[in-house]
Amino acid sequence: MSLLDLLLLLSLLTTLYLYAFGNHRNAGHLGMVVYAVATGLVIAMAGPLADGTGAVGSTFAPVMLGHVLSWSMDGLGWFFALLTTGAAFFASWYMSGEWNAEQPNKRIQHGTLALNVFCMLLLLSSGDLLSLFIGWEFVSWAAFLMMTQLGSHAARAAFRYMLYALAGAMAVFAAILIVKAQIGSFAFADLRAAVPALSDGLKWLLFGLFGLGFGVKMAIVPFHLWQAPAYSFTPGASSAFLNAVSARMGLFAILLVLGKLIGFATLSDLALPLIPMDAKTLLMWVAAITMVVPTFIALMQTDARMLLTWHGIGQGGYMLLGVLVATPLGTAAGLMHVLNYASYQMALVLAVFAVIHRTGTADLDELGGLIKRMPFTYLALLMGIIGLAGLPPMNGFVSKWMIYKSLLDTQQPLLLIAAFVGTLGTILSVYKLIHNIFLGQLRAEHQKVGEAPGSMLAPMLILAGIGFATGFFPGLALGVVDVAQAALGVELLPHGLGGVYLATGSLNMIWVVGIMIGAIGFGAFVFYVIGNRRYGVHQFDNYAGGHFLSADIRYHFSHEFYPGLARLIGPWYRGSVVNMENGLMIGLKTAGDLWHGAFRIAYTPFYLLVALAIGLWWAGLDGGF
Amino acid sequence: MVEIANPGMLELVVDLVLMPIVAFVVGLALVLMARRVRAKIERRVGPPFLQPVYDIVKLYSKRTQISHGWMHDVAIMLLLGGFITAEIFLPVPGMSGLAEHGDLLTLIYIMMVPMLGMALGVGDCANPNGSIGISRALTAMLAYDVPYIIAVVGACMVYGTSNLVEIVQIQQAGGPATWGIVTMPLLAIAGLISMHGMLGKEPFEIYIAPAEIATGPMVEMSGKYMGALFVMQCFQLYTVGVLYTTLFLGGGEMWLTFLPKVFAVILVFVAITNLFGRLRTEDVIAWMWKWPTGIALLGLLLVMIDV
Repeated sequence: MSLLDLLLLLSLLTTLYLYAFGNHRNAGHLGMVVYAVATGLVIAMAGPLADGTGAVGSTFAPVMLGHVLSWSMDGLGWFFALLTTGAAFFASWYMSGEWNAEQPNKRIQHGTLALNVFCMLLLLSSGDLLSLFIGWEFVSWAAFLMMTQLGSHAARAAFRYMLYALAGAMAVFAAILIVKAQIGSFAFADLRAAVPALSDGLKWLLFGLFGLGFGVKMAIVPFHLWQAPAYSFTPGASSAFLNAVSARMGLFAILLVLGKLIGFATLSDLALPLIPMDAKTLLMWVAAITMVVPTFIALMQTDARMLLTWHGIGQGGYMLLGVLVATPLGTAAGLMHVLNYASYQMALVLAVFAVIHRTGTADLDELGGLIKRMPFTYLALLMGIIGLAGLPPMNGFVSKWMIYKSLLDTQQPLLLIAAFVGTLGTILSVYKLIHNIFLGQLRAEHQKVGEAPGSMLAPMLILAGIGFATGFFPGLALGVVDVAQAALGVELLPHGLGGVYLATGSLNMIWVVGIMIGAIGFGAFVFYVIGNRRYGVHQFDNYAGGHFLSADIRYHFSHEFYPGLARLIGPWYRGSVVNMENGLMIGLKTAGDLWHGAFRIAYTPFYLLVALAIGLWWAGLDGGF
Repeated sequence: MVEIANPGMLELVVDLVLMPIVAFVVGLALVLMARRVRAKIERRVGPPFLQPVYDIVKLYSKRTQISHGWMHDVAIMLLLGGFITAEIFLPVPGMSGLAEHGDLLTLIYIMMVPMLGMALGVGDCANPNGSIGISRALTAMLAYDVPYIIAVVGACMVYGTSNLVEIVQIQQAGGPATWGIVTMPLLAIAGLISMHGMLGKEPFEIYIAPAEIATGPMVEMSGKYMGALFVMQCFQLYTVGVLYTTLFLGGGEMWLTFLPKVFAVILVFVAITNLFGRLRTEDVIAWMWKWPTGIALLGLLLVMIDV
């Protein structure tokens, strides 16, 4: 029995157990132990994978219609598996204490989390195209189960997700069948070997079908509409897990199929007719649009969860753009951003759910001033937004810097400017998030609100801490990235513990963060030692326009936080993609109605007439008359 | 992996201490110049030589020093800390500090840290005028940073590096013909306009708007809180002046040729700022995204054709 067998078996048994006995009050703790062990198993697999050619196989190899299905995990799958089990560990921790005690459907929450982990591990260790498709479907349905757990709004969003996922899966399936028909095999190696001989038209077709199928999961524009509501209205830790990991399965599949098997270099040779652009550049621009558009949609959200998940879509664009640059620096940047994003996005989503847990709302117009009531949640959210905005000293800065740098070094200034503009939008948006929840006026009804419980605080603070640590010492994360990069066959990026040194400009975060800490320490010295003594006033001790303000007057500036910007760019939000989706829906419904009408309603005379007409026409063709 | 020459420990310590101090002192002189120029335009005598110092001493020693919470305090530390960090990564004649360990892109993002700190501190004050000010300031940032970034990206493309030390060396070695303002005039113009916006001078000072929102972000700042903002202004003027000089005016091998350029850049800002009224927030964005961004994109296009 190999390590992979052990990991999958452990994961499967956990799923069965938690589905059956997940209502027990210690289910969260059990989950923590299992996911910690699973993470340990994944780490134990690292040894043979490090050189990029090794893989940990599974002894489970069923035969289906004459094809042997195989599972084996290489460095790329390992990288995402580590992310999956790690994220599940923190999600389970969050659900272990007070959260667990108050949830009506804890069996479902624990069960679906375990099921998602199992399905993802299955996908990540797929050894051929057929097992990849099986894993892909499993992951989609497992995520669907997780999203539908609360019913109502979430279920509606989940249903929309399922429609997109099914469309994507059909595209993937079609592509796999085409591959089978062309080269007669489902094996990865055979596809890889056969790609150079395929015709350009076929390459375009495979690129389109795989890109569409996997792109739906990644929510790249224009297939992005499902993601934000589907992730947002899933409860607590499940939402954080989906945010951190789920969409990354799409990136994994893109990297595996388009990056490793078909090859990004092959895509750069596929020229578009009429415009000077190739398939890879086209995908890069799609990634750039995915960075910018969802970010500015996030800026207009009034629900904290929706704001974060819309940013999640945008951040996916950064990852895709990074790996598509396909230089050692770009690939490392894109992959590192996957890890970094998972750390801060989980911390952010968990913090927002802690606020919901205490106040009952995530509406950015109905909160404010909670910094005094929930200071540690504030801290977690603060560190999270610095990471999301990509500012030093957090890890988000490092991976984004590497993405910028890779674009600069490959002379792609327009994409770089798009990346910058996305970041600027993010800064505005995250400030609104933290301001509207934690700063400003405390509402009268929140005066008695307490800090989130330890079981919820600990995972988010540790995740934020990981974000800081891998910002201070990016080498830690880059070491993990190396394994996946080697498996992709991309040359490794030379790096130190503090960052990267390049001929055209370097980044050593140990110096940057070290100096920053020292300088802020000096700032603290100046603040406390020099000058007259300060005295603190109560949170409610305030005035505006010559009036003293009290808690019964609402003066928190939160609704429509950026009015000037909204007036200018407001008309740009035309909902084009929503309209497209509506149009598609109406078209499908009409087609469905027609079809339905045709076979359900018996217009016997009409059918007879049609048959007669066709018969006469045929006879006429024959020249009988 | 590229090996870089590490300065000796002593030299590094001297740089770490001297660079922020020089920045502060030059910044004070820049503030003095700005106020004197304004006075001359308004036909006043203007403040005495040491007035900026008097102001800081006065503010720090005031009796009313109100803290609205710990984030308000931390913001003041972030303001000072962020700018000190920025100075250490900004090379000046004779001192490179840590510029080899963090490039121009790093510097841009380090400079956003004090902005974010300030925004958080103002938010903690819970004054709606402050929050409105921050909302406007961040919107203005979105406006002026677009042309600014295009100019920076274009400059990096022209010099082929984002290492600030090398950018200076390239211009110093090639003489005035290789200065950014000659090799990429359109980007230099766009950079100048966007940096004017960055300093929050008229017509881009809607986020302060004293008569309307009672000075916005500064509304709850008293005593040394206000003093720290004053210090920040010194650092900000210096940083912007030096950055522009480095990117477009050839930097400097020695202070005697370097400082006049820095003062000249700031003089351009303070000399023209009094000519303008105040633009509304949406007009700031519309204008910034139209003219300087258009000029910058045109400049970038020229660079891309050349490169």
